[in-house]
Amino acid sequence: MKEIVFSTLEQLRNYARQQGLTATFLYREEDSSLMRFANSAISLNTNEHLIAIEITVYDGSRRASYEVIASPGDQEALLRGVDTAAEMVKHTMPLDYAPTVTAIKIDFVDESGFDAALAEMSSQQKLEYFNAAAAGMETGELRLGGIFSSGINVLAICSTLTDQTQYIKFTDAQVNVVLSHAVDKWEVLAEQSAARKTDLDPTPLQDHLSFLVEHYRQDPPIQLPLGKYDIIFGASATAHMLHFMHWIGFNGGLMKRGYSFLSEAEIGTQVLSPLVNMADDTSDYRTFPLRQDLIGMDRSRYPLFEKGIFRGFTYLQDEADEFAQPATGHTVYHDSLTFAGGDHPVSSLRQLVSEPRDTDLLYFPYLHYANIVNPSRGVLTGSSRFGALLLKKDGTIAVPFNVRISPSLKDILGSQLAWLSRESEANNISLSYGARNPQAIVVPKFMRVNGVEITHSNSSY
Amino acid sequence: MLDDIKKQIKRLQAQGATYVDTRWYPYEERNSLSMWNGNLKDTNATRQSGVGVRVLYKGAWGFSASSNVEQLTAIYDRALENARVAAERVTFPIRLAEKDILQASFASPNQVDPFTVPLAEKVDLMKQVDAWLKDDAVQQRSVDLTLTRRLAHFIDSEGSQIEKNIVDVFTRVEVSSQDENGVTQERKFRLGRRGESRGWENFDPAFFQEISLRIVQELKELLAAPECPKDDRSVILLHSIMFLQTHETIGHALELDRILGYELAFAGGSFVTLDDFGKLRYGSNKLTARANATLPNSPGSFGFDDDGVPAQDNLLIDRGLLVGAITSRQMVEEANARARREIFQGSSGANRATAFYRVPIERMTNINIDSGTDGTLEDIIAGTEHGIILDGDRSWSIGSNREQFHFGTEIGWLVENGLKKGVVKNSTYKGDTLKFWNSLSAVGNASTWKMHFVDNCGKGQPNQIIQLGHGVPICRFDNVRVGE
Ligand SMILES: [Zn+2]
Repeated sequence: MKEIVFSTLEQLRNYARQQGLTATFLYREEDSSLMRFANSAISLNTNEHLIAIEITVYDGSRRASYEVIASPGDQEALLRGVDTAAEMVKHTMPLDYAPTVTAIKIDFVDESGFDAALAEMSSQQKLEYFNAAAAGMETGELRLGGIFSSGINVLAICSTLTDQTQYIKFTDAQVNVVLSHAVDKWEVLAEQSAARKTDLDPTPLQDHLSFLVEHYRQDPPIQLPLGKYDIIFGASATAHMLHFMHWIGFNGGLMKRGYSFLSEAEIGTQVLSPLVNMADDTSDYRTFPLRQDLIGMDRSRYPLFEKGIFRGFTYLQDEADEFAQPATGHTVYHDSLTFAGGDHPVSSLRQLVSEPRDTDLLYFPYLHYANIVNPSRGVLTGSSRFGALLLKKDGTIAVPFNVRISPSLKDILGSQLAWLSRESEANNISLSYGARNPQAIVVPKFMRVNGVEITHSNSSY
Repeated sequence: MLDDIKKQIKRLQAQGATYVDTRWYPYEERNSLSMWNGNLKDTNATRQSGVGVRVLYKGAWGFSASSNVEQLTAIYDRALENARVAAERVTFPIRLAEKDILQASFASPNQVDPFTVPLAEKVDLMKQVDAWLKDDAVQQRSVDLTLTRRLAHFIDSEGSQIEKNIVDVFTRVEVSSQDENGVTQERKFRLGRRGESRGWENFDPAFFQEISLRIVQELKELLAAPECPKDDRSVILLHSIMFLQTHETIGHALELDRILGYELAFAGGSFVTLDDFGKLRYGSNKLTARANATLPNSPGSFGFDDDGVPAQDNLLIDRGLLVGAITSRQMVEEANARARREIFQGSSGANRATAFYRVPIERMTNINIDSGTDGTLEDIIAGTEHGIILDGDRSWSIGSNREQFHFGTEIGWLVENGLKKGVVKNSTYKGDTLKFWNSLSAVGNASTWKMHFVDNCGKGQPNQIIQLGHGVPICRFDNVRVGE
């Protein structure tokens, strides 16, 4: 398979060189499968095998690209793609900066993220895993839903500037298991992210779900009064909040366009709580790391926050070119964001619930439909979902209807941050809009933030 | 190819498949140009082709798709195999509602195919628009142009064969600047329905000039404006936020798959139950909403859906009363059976996939609000004691059952004692869906009705981004919390 990719790119490169073109070629292949569950049935079992080749032609500071999704054997279509991009570039407009063209300096092959056992998992095995995760909980009213999404990604890139090629192949899986109550309309969720088959284990999911189901069935529902709460965010909520940092946080291009709550003046200063250590860390295999970017730049560990001190913005090559900034190796489909754990020794929900507490705590596992209200102030809004619990001071538990919070990331990760759990986990935040692009953020399993305002409280689930 | 597809369909039927359909896209092309501060950052074109095969076996779906159409047999085998595994966990065996068997075609009306327009002409238009956006007060200017066309064939085992040729054009023009507090303010415009066709003729330079100058002027006003107050008042929603209110709290809430719980593990459910059809007072009696896929010029009109059901114009809410939903062949059968009554008479023709490699799911068509009898915007303002006019979608966040929402808008104008006052910035509003629609107190007349295009509606797993439309009048709602 690898040989076909290399020879396809080789042919394209030779053809472009014959035409006297400066061009880059990006090969993307995905073999995706998704088993979707709803109403306790498999509502969809699908797979897609897609090969896309993107050809970008440069002419000085002009640039145009053409992408073909077709049969790899259709050489004619691919060569016509080169011609089309070459024709487009003639009529496009020069940029007012010089774009960097990909130059792969050494042949780079990274298949360390590929796990044959995960790639070869059958539909039957996935179904067995799902059945185990939900074992003993389904009833007529309590229904199983979720996804088992898995796939293989291949990325390969070369250009006319050098003879070398970069090739990266990796596997991924994202599992969400949901139990939803058909009448009361609540849902509880357990998730797992996997880069290897050995990362998959339905046991902790079953344990987490059965604990939540027990409480959602037994404990009284409550409409929370508006006001300030001390919140324990679960890994998913934390990961989804951090994910917004890709747009309104450390993304240099967007900062330059006015869409960040961080500024260049804050580099080297204390911006967040001293508890915050965050990096783009390709050494963590759970993040589906891309160890070279699409320009051919090595991606080692890139610190973002150390003890809350902001270390700097990341730049796509094109934005580094536009804003005259040094490239940082971030011309990638996804980075490898890791948020280090702290010193609080809680590693499971059961443990969290059994800890003594001197105040009411709101366990907030998941942030539903979050969006950016004010990028310059880092203000987000979103609702609780999938298993929130009110852990009362007196040791009892109530089940809150969903609530809305609209906090600022600067406060959540700043003065209001109380503690981080020692243990962390990879939370898979892939959405697969368009091309398969698995992405996981490593975050503390639990994060306590004090004094978060609840701005809306539902009167039902 | 069409004959090969028919043979494959027959082959799977012989192996026990009770229904098979295929969408073959000989091509789907997309041209996207994006300019930031005068730099044409992206000049991109894509072309994709392939087949998607959907198989029903023992009441369960299997789907398989590939860009490699040379291996047709393998794609069909995989789809059947996927359905066989899915059939091991069936709780409600899938049945498809009756439909007419059709040999038909649909072509979206366009005078000038945008793919025949030279690239240089497109770039010139963008440069011209960019020049109109230039102003000392404007820090960021962006102009995007997206053109799509596709040829798609639908063939099913029931004997339908449909060909679709669809062209769409989208554009977005945006300006932004940071105010004195370093907070970014923005104003944007997206092309909506103009005239009866959907080709290059929609790009009328004079119209773009007018729009560009207006958004620059409004941005300048925002930069000097005070903060939006935090209190309860009437909100008058202009088109560029009224469309989103309709989209999020009527459109998504009335997708039948959501109502039946098929999206509960991800996007969420709906506060609407099957019991509510014909009974629930969704809004005040000024509210009439419909799903109308028959308007010629909108990305929410496509001739036939991906079940092969023709486009329709159906009422969703009739003078406040919930009467209809956005449906497909599969979901109406299940809903009627679960409700033990015939709520839905056949599919509403709203099952759509975004690409050959995605499975069709229920999607909005053109979810429109009928115009009303409360006059023009000026008339509505004149009848408002304490209010705010809002426009421009900035952020949206909705509860998992669509029961509550929070929207951020680009701009607000205060209204006091029937008079429009100054601009305010960082405007937001929120509410509970049913309470909000029941507070609808004024609906603008036909002169206020405009068709807005949406090119980024996401739903489903794997996720699908689809294009659609919303025709809406200007509306007023009372006692709404703003500025929070
Ligand atoms: Zn949507």
